[in-house]
Parts: sequence; C-alpha cells; structure tokens
Amino acid sequence: MVGDEVSISLRNLRKVFVDGQRQLVTLDDFNLDVLAGEIVCLLGPSGCGKTTVLRIISGLELATGGSVLVNGKQVTAAGPDRGLVFQEFALFPWRTVRKNIEFGLEVKGVLEDERHRISSKYIDLVGLTGFEDAHPRELSGGMKQRVGIARALANEPAVLLMDEPFGSLDAQTRNLMQKELLRIWAATRKTIVFVTHSVDEAVFLGDRVVVMTARPGKVREIIAVDLPRPRERTSQDFIRVRGKVLAELDEEFEKARARELSPE
Amino acid sequence: MRARADLTGRLLRVLRQNLPRYVLGAVAVIAFIALWAFVSWYLQDTGSPKAIYVPSPARVADAFFGSFSLLPGLEEITMWDLISSSLGRVLLGYAIALVIGFPAGLLMGSYWSADALGRPILEMFRPIPPLAWVPVFVFVFGALWGPVGIVFLGAFFPILINVMFGVKSVDPSLVDAARTLGARRRDIFVKVTMPTTIPYLMTGLKVGIGIAWMCIVAAEAIGLRGGAGLGYYISLSSLQFGLWPQTYATMIVIGILSMVTTGLASLLEQRFYKWSGMK
Repeated sequence: MVGDEVSISLRNLRKVFVDGQRQLVTLDDFNLDVLAGEIVCLLGPSGCGKTTVLRIISGLELATGGSVLVNGKQVTAAGPDRGLVFQEFALFPWRTVRKNIEFGLEVKGVLEDERHRISSKYIDLVGLTGFEDAHPRELSGGMKQRVGIARALANEPAVLLMDEPFGSLDAQTRNLMQKELLRIWAATRKTIVFVTHSVDEAVFLGDRVVVMTARPGKVREIIAVDLPRPRERTSQDFIRVRGKVLAELDEEFEKARARELSPE
Repeated sequence: MRARADLTGRLLRVLRQNLPRYVLGAVAVIAFIALWAFVSWYLQDTGSPKAIYVPSPARVADAFFGSFSLLPGLEEITMWDLISSSLGRVLLGYAIALVIGFPAGLLMGSYWSADALGRPILEMFRPIPPLAWVPVFVFVFGALWGPVGIVFLGAFFPILINVMFGVKSVDPSLVDAARTLGARRRDIFVKVTMPTTIPYLMTGLKVGIGIAWMCIVAAEAIGLRGGAGLGYYISLSSLQFGLWPQTYATMIVIGILSMVTTGLASLLEQRFYKWSGMK
C-alpha cells in the first residue's frame, strides 16, 4: 500500500514564535519525508512542536525557514489538498452532519446533486448513516470525530493531517476509532500524518513513528513498525516496538523536565 | 394525536411543577392591587388634594377598556390609533438601527481600520442618554420623525456593540477548519463569521427593543406638537386634561407592548442560540 514516491517533504524546517521581547524556537532543523500512502506518527514531549509541524504542512502556519513540499508543490497557504482533523473536532455547530461534510464542496462551488452524492459516500465510509441530519451537539465524541474525518476526506485531499484526533475520547472509543481509521485508510489510501501523545496509539497505527526531541523540536529517531496489520497490542512484537519507542521518548521527557527545573 | 397528548401532558406537568411560583406571584399582584386600592380610598376619604393622582384600580380599568372605543380629550381617535402610531415609530427607528447597526458592527468587528475610525465616535456618543437628544431631534426632524430618531439612537448602540462582540467571539479553530477546507476570506465571512454573529445580533435586538420603548414614550411626551402617540397622550391626559385614570391606562398599554415585543425578541434570541449550538 505504501509506495516509494515522496508525498510530503520537510527540509530544514525552522519555526520561531515571537512573543514581545521573547523568541521561542519551536522547531529547528526538522527534516522528514513521508511516502505516499504511509501513516507516520509524530510523538514527543509536550511543547516539542508536533502540532506546529502539522500546522505548517497544512499551511495554517508558515515556517520561519526551510521548505515544505507536498506532492512536489511548495506550501504557501492552507488548501483543500491537505485535510486537517482537529483534536477538539472544530465542527460547525449550526450545520448538520451532512452540511459539515459538504462545507469544502460548497466552497469549491460543487453543485448540490454532486455534493449530496459525495457526502453520502463519505457518510457511508465513516459509518454515520442515519445521522445525516443530526447536529454536532447531538453526537458523542467518537461520532463527532467521524464527521471531522469525513469532512476532511470529502475534499479528496492527497494527505490527511490529524492533530491528536482521538485525544479527547475515552479509552474504549479511542481504540475503536483507531481501528476505524485503519479501515478508512485501507479504503482511501491516503498519506496520513498523525500527531499523538500516546505511544500505544503511535505503534498501533504507524508505518513509522517519529520521536521528536524536546524543544526546539527536531527528529530524534524514526522507528519503523514492521508489524503486519491488524496489530495485536498484547503480542510480543508489539510490546517490543512499544518498549523501543518508549525508551527514546523517556530520555526526551527527562531532558524536558530537567530544563523546566533548571533556571533559564 | 399522540404528539398533541404529549404536549398537553408536558404543559400540565410544567404547570404543576411551577404551581407554588404562580401562587406566590398571584398573591403579590393581588396584594399590590389591594394596597393601591387602599391608598386611593384613603386619599379620597381624607379629602387629600393628591387624591386625583391616585385613581382607584376600578377607575383605571374602566379607563383602560373605554380607551379602545373613545379617548377623552381626543374625540377623533382611540387607543388603537395611539398604539399604531407609536408602534410604527418604534419599529421604524428600530429597523433603521438594525439596517445600519448590523453592517457597522460587522465592519468594526472585522477590520481594525473600521474599528479605529468608528470607536472614538462610538465612545463619544454612547454615554449621552438618547433622551438628551429629544429637544434637538424634535425641533430639527419634527414631531413625527424626531421620536423615530430617538428610538434609532436608543436601539443602535446595543445592536452595534453586540454584533461587534459577536464577530470577536468567532471560534478561531472554526476559521482554521474552514481555511483547510479551501475557504477564502469571503467564504469565512459568510459561512463562519455571520452564523456566529447572528445570536449576538439577537441579543442586541432584545436589549434594543426595550430601550426603544423607553425612548418613544419620552420623545413623544416631550415633543408635544402634533404627531399623536402613547407618550403624547400620557402627557396630554395628565398635564392638560387632568384625566389621570387615562394616564395610567396608557402606561399599562405601553407596559404590555414592551413586554410582548421583548418577549418575542427573547424567544427569537433563544432560538438562534440553540441553532448556533452555543447554548
């Protein structure tokens, strides 16, 4: 399923946030290639800039330095070829499920019949049939995120960027949604960049897991997860890979903590 | 059929749950009317010269119901005519406030330059009570249009300020979502900013209609010349004719009108808040 063509190419990425007098270097010399059809999980201590990487790929944030190529094109602004799924869903509360999913199509000027056909397809794909006319407030967290995923997919983007999409769900729903995501991924073959706090989630989903350093964030280690899917969380191999990722991450956590404790 | 039975059942349940509230409320109203009747009777009985200012509840009720067929002092017209001319002015001034205040609020909320231009003027005029303008407006715009202008001033500021606040309350993550879905500035304005702002507009309209009624009464009462209206008749019936029961009856009419229109605005407001998913 994973090809060998590069879908997302990040070179020497640097991001500096300026807050009054202070400059905060969030990313420094961040390099990563994501292959077409691959799931790459970004993992790292809080504040390491995982979300910033995602926002830079999406075009919501511009890098201070370095280059971002998505399918060979330089990213200069947000665009419908890169779908973003938000941790807090960010659904339009006054729109029904269907209308949320059709947002991007409306903006693109797709006619009503065609919009309806496309939204129906994705409603079906994410398992929301029967909830087309519900409003977000009537849905559970898991259902809301299904809408979020369908809404991003309806634009048929080349890449799907996911910012801790299951972070606010309870453990059981979270596991279910991970399986659902893999099913949707198998059906659509999207390139996915997935930001998470959870080692377990990263190893369960990722073809590769990128462990980032504490701020300023760069790539510490890329760990390939060579386990066939569906993966068994309790299998020896899973636990072995999990342990490897955890060891890398722990060192960064320690560094981040030591720095927090010492005066600047 | 079933739905109707459910509705009746629900109404009955709500009634039953709130019965103690209704009983206490009714007790207070009855006590108030009794006190009023007593004060009125006492003043008459002791031959107080102030007695005419406090007519009995019964006489006010008579005046109230009578006024819809005949207004003492104004032979040609009835309470209906007063209501229609005052209501007309209120709605007109209110509509102008909406038509100007809504876009102005959207602009000032969206662009710093519009805010920089408008803010000093806004802060300069906002603290001046609309009623302070009555003499100027009545002389410049006349007895018909002057009160409309006062209503406009009264309703304009709450509408403008609430809309501005609404624009500022747009959820940035919804804007982000819209941008990643391909929305341009205009799309974001129409599909994110506007829907967020509408409930705030409704709050402005609710506050505005109450102020509009306060304004119309005072504007009409002060701007005596011609242009019959409720405020005008309050002033005329009391100061000119000494028909105090008619004065009180007209006050009650204004109270009812203000209550009904504010109630409607409030209902709309709740609807839109629910629609927007914010409450």
